[in-house]
Amino acid sequence: MDFALSEEQRMFRDMFRNFAAKELAPRADEIDHAETMPPEIVRKAVDQGFFGATLPEDCYGAALDHVSYVLLLENLATACASLAVSVAAHVSLVAMSILEFGTDAQKEEWLPPMAAGEVIGAFALTEPDAGTDTRVLETRARYDGDEVILDGVKTWVTNGEQAGLFLVFARGPQGMDAYLVPRDAPGLTVGYREPTLGLRSAYFNTVYLEGCRVPQANRLGAPGDGEKIARRAEDRMSIALAAIGLGLAESSVDVAAQYATERVQFGVPIGQKQAIQNYIANAHAETEALRYLVYRAAWLVDQGENFSVDASLVKTFAARMARSVTNWMLQVLGGYGFMEDYPMARKYRDARVLGIIGGPTEWHTFRVAQAIFAAKDMAIAP
Amino acid sequence: MRIAVVLGRVLDPRGIVVNRRAGRIFINREEYILQPADRCALEAALRIKDAASAEVVALPRTFLPDDDVLCQALATGADRAIYLTGGPLGADEALMARVLVAAIAKLGGADLILTGATTMDTGQSQLGPRLAEALNWPQVLNAWAVETADGAARAVVNAGAGYVQVEVDLPAVITLLPGALKPRYPRGTQLINIYRGVGEIAQALEQWPAADLVEEAALTPVVERRGQDFPPERERGVRLTGSPEEVARAAAEALRKRLPR
Amino acid sequence: MDFTFSPEHQALRRLVREFAENEVAPLAAEIDRKHQIPFETLRKLGEIGLLGVCFPQEYGGMGAGETGYCILMEELGRVCTSTATNVGAHIGIGAMAIHLDGNPEQKRKYLTPLARGEKIAAFGLTESNAGSDAANIRTRAVREGDSWILDGGKVYITNGGFADIVTVMAVTDPALGARGGVTAFIVEASWPGFKVAREEDKMGIRGTSTAELVFEELRVPHENVLGKVGEGFVTFMKSLDMGRLTLGAACLGGAQAALEMAVYWAKTRRQFGVELAHKQSVQWAIANIATEIEALRSLVYRVAWMVDTGQTGQEFTQLAAMCKMYGSEVASRAIDLALQIYGGLGVTRDFHIERAFRDARIAEIFEGTNEIQRIVIASNIFREYGVRIRP
Repeated sequence: MDFALSEEQRMFRDMFRNFAAKELAPRADEIDHAETMPPEIVRKAVDQGFFGATLPEDCYGAALDHVSYVLLLENLATACASLAVSVAAHVSLVAMSILEFGTDAQKEEWLPPMAAGEVIGAFALTEPDAGTDTRVLETRARYDGDEVILDGVKTWVTNGEQAGLFLVFARGPQGMDAYLVPRDAPGLTVGYREPTLGLRSAYFNTVYLEGCRVPQANRLGAPGDGEKIARRAEDRMSIALAAIGLGLAESSVDVAAQYATERVQFGVPIGQKQAIQNYIANAHAETEALRYLVYRAAWLVDQGENFSVDASLVKTFAARMARSVTNWMLQVLGGYGFMEDYPMARKYRDARVLGIIGGPTEWHTFRVAQAIFAAKDMAIAP
Repeated sequence: MRIAVVLGRVLDPRGIVVNRRAGRIFINREEYILQPADRCALEAALRIKDAASAEVVALPRTFLPDDDVLCQALATGADRAIYLTGGPLGADEALMARVLVAAIAKLGGADLILTGATTMDTGQSQLGPRLAEALNWPQVLNAWAVETADGAARAVVNAGAGYVQVEVDLPAVITLLPGALKPRYPRGTQLINIYRGVGEIAQALEQWPAADLVEEAALTPVVERRGQDFPPERERGVRLTGSPEEVARAAAEALRKRLPR
Repeated sequence: MDFTFSPEHQALRRLVREFAENEVAPLAAEIDRKHQIPFETLRKLGEIGLLGVCFPQEYGGMGAGETGYCILMEELGRVCTSTATNVGAHIGIGAMAIHLDGNPEQKRKYLTPLARGEKIAAFGLTESNAGSDAANIRTRAVREGDSWILDGGKVYITNGGFADIVTVMAVTDPALGARGGVTAFIVEASWPGFKVAREEDKMGIRGTSTAELVFEELRVPHENVLGKVGEGFVTFMKSLDMGRLTLGAACLGGAQAALEMAVYWAKTRRQFGVELAHKQSVQWAIANIATEIEALRSLVYRVAWMVDTGQTGQEFTQLAAMCKMYGSEVASRAIDLALQIYGGLGVTRDFHIERAFRDARIAEIFEGTNEIQRIVIASNIFREYGVRIRP
């Protein structure tokens, strides 16, 4: 057992922390209120190599191990969870899927521009009537010679508005397929952007596919591999979202603890009050428990182990903890916590959305239960 | 000028669930509201009162177990309300027309009778015409708006493609459609006082036994309710899939099947 | 024992519910989005008499008592937290202080137009360093002949940006502190020296005004001292007790609405071949929250009944704190549940759960944070056993 970060990981962490504090934190409130991600911020993140985080060097990626990658997302989220979600969707959902399932030609075509941030990836799985339950997907893929025709509507497409490449899931003749659909493909339209409670500068769009044609060569994996690709991507994303939850939780504890040293009530700083001490101590304990769950899940990925159940475990725990920690820390700030000119309200809103996106908490809880009962030789249905 | 407004009540539809398959109505919250059309009639009366002074007298459209609708009418601005007692609860419109004619006579007559064109629950719409028949007054049915001037009433009614204004000499009976007017809210203070039975407003509510108005035999209902039935459940929708052309073709085909020959 | 509502309260609820659904609910999303005060709604509420719901009829009120007021707040809280907050700040704490401790002349002059809704009230207690800790008040009032000169300021004053009349707590004798040295004043916003310094940008209840007020040599005639000089703290604490009870009622409405939404979606939304209603974790969550809502309902109306029957002693203070604390927490839990059941729809601003979620959070904070409520409750309990606790 070894809980220490390597020399290199510590160095990365300091660099990410520095970036978050210097480049993101001062503008995070403004970005949130404007509900856009300014291109110059994205540019800076790209220059740091964040958009190619875990991609190998031969694709011009930063070749980060997964522990360093969750450190990146965690630290970005301490300042701006919206950017962290955007990076996570790009890397974990799209780029890594191509790296894992793509042909050499696909990797060569897409990964270098993705690592360079020239092409942003978006993940198009969810539909109006099919969220977690992928068996009822209605988007269809019809084969037409060398081409495939896609028809359907996708909602909650993360990065939709910014994206240059969409990973689209559709039901083909042999089960679910995954397709790499460039933004300029005929028949693809990026539509309505969801105005959200939190993560307001991330983009969640509806994407319409109307007779959208792509070459058969754009299929990721074999026909029918879509289910597997989607599941893997979602597992990676679960860990990434958990890291973002961790960043939100730890930064709220920090903000609240600082406030508790300054706010005087009944003649003493409120940090002298036992109730406030309890709030902060409990929140810190929850945050630290989450921290090592997140790092462990990332470490499992680096070890090449199966991390599917752990990903769900950490996602459900992270959603709960981020929600509860930001809630209590907001309470420490009292009225100030409710004001939009302090970062606490934003963190609280952002954290709540984590319980919904990337599969609701209930779904991940089910997957954990499923694994436990499978060990007892019983199958359970969702 | 005296305006008689005839009002009824109906179960608040938000408190009930209709289960067609079980053939039952589930009453989750037993709360009554004024019949929407009757409430429009009250509003029409109050608008006439606002424009040119008039005495507005509220009467129930059937025998009711309590004086709730009359209290509401008073709180909303009616000047008097007559709670009719001693008759069969929920009595039919034929019986009620006789009782109401007698009650209006006892009031000393009226210049205008306003009531709802239809009830929300059972869709009854005979009360207005029956009153007009019994009194031998002109009637305007299903009006959207009413105003009075120089011994006549003008009402707006729907005439096919458009609206027309109809004028009748007073006295007359006019029925109003539900949704015709946006009814005003009761005044809070009056509402509290009438239900508490305090203040001037409490004096405005009178109780008249039906036996004083008509003979005993006239209080026997001619209609008996033996049960209830529900219209058949609506057909479930069909989800059409395929290319736009295919969907359009299938939709056209489905519509054609349903059109009468 | 009798747990039924009187006929007049049933009629009042019917009126308020209809008003809330027809006039308040349709505007809820818009006033939140545009950050607007629903002036038109307040005007209509005043016209019907609802802004004086619990005040005596001789001062323009409706005379429906605290129970009537709770009914109003519950029904408004069901459809729009912002409107409920505007009304609560106006009746429940602003005008309430005048109702509780004003002399007949003050009531005639100030309570009557407030009860009729011709004027709007706010409650000026909180300062940047004195929220729930009223002993730290810095606003000073100095006697000068027949007047008092007020200097200082207040923060986070609900309705502060547009109120016509503000009840202000100021220090009249710094040596005596909260007990004996603080006095309540009735201040008109039109007087020279009264300034609205700033409007807060809040996460929720965006259809309300939360303002910073500044008083610079604000001259208040002596006849506008509310209650006795030096006893302002008592006046304000009594008003806060009333406010806490009715905030609990508003939370009850919010929680009830959330439960109804959660149930609606659970019976509508299908996942994995069945409606969510058939999922046991959904059933459990619904059963738990419904139980809490019923407990809250009983608590709120019992305490309202105590006020209406004149039982406003020490026990009332404790129970009012429980209404506020428990109410706000039940509402937050109920709305959180509804949001979770709605999933993606729950977090988009096109849909009202997102707003309810942002709105609900303030109830755990304002009118005394829930921590303060716990101190109030604990200190009352310990007092019964002869122990004076330190906060």
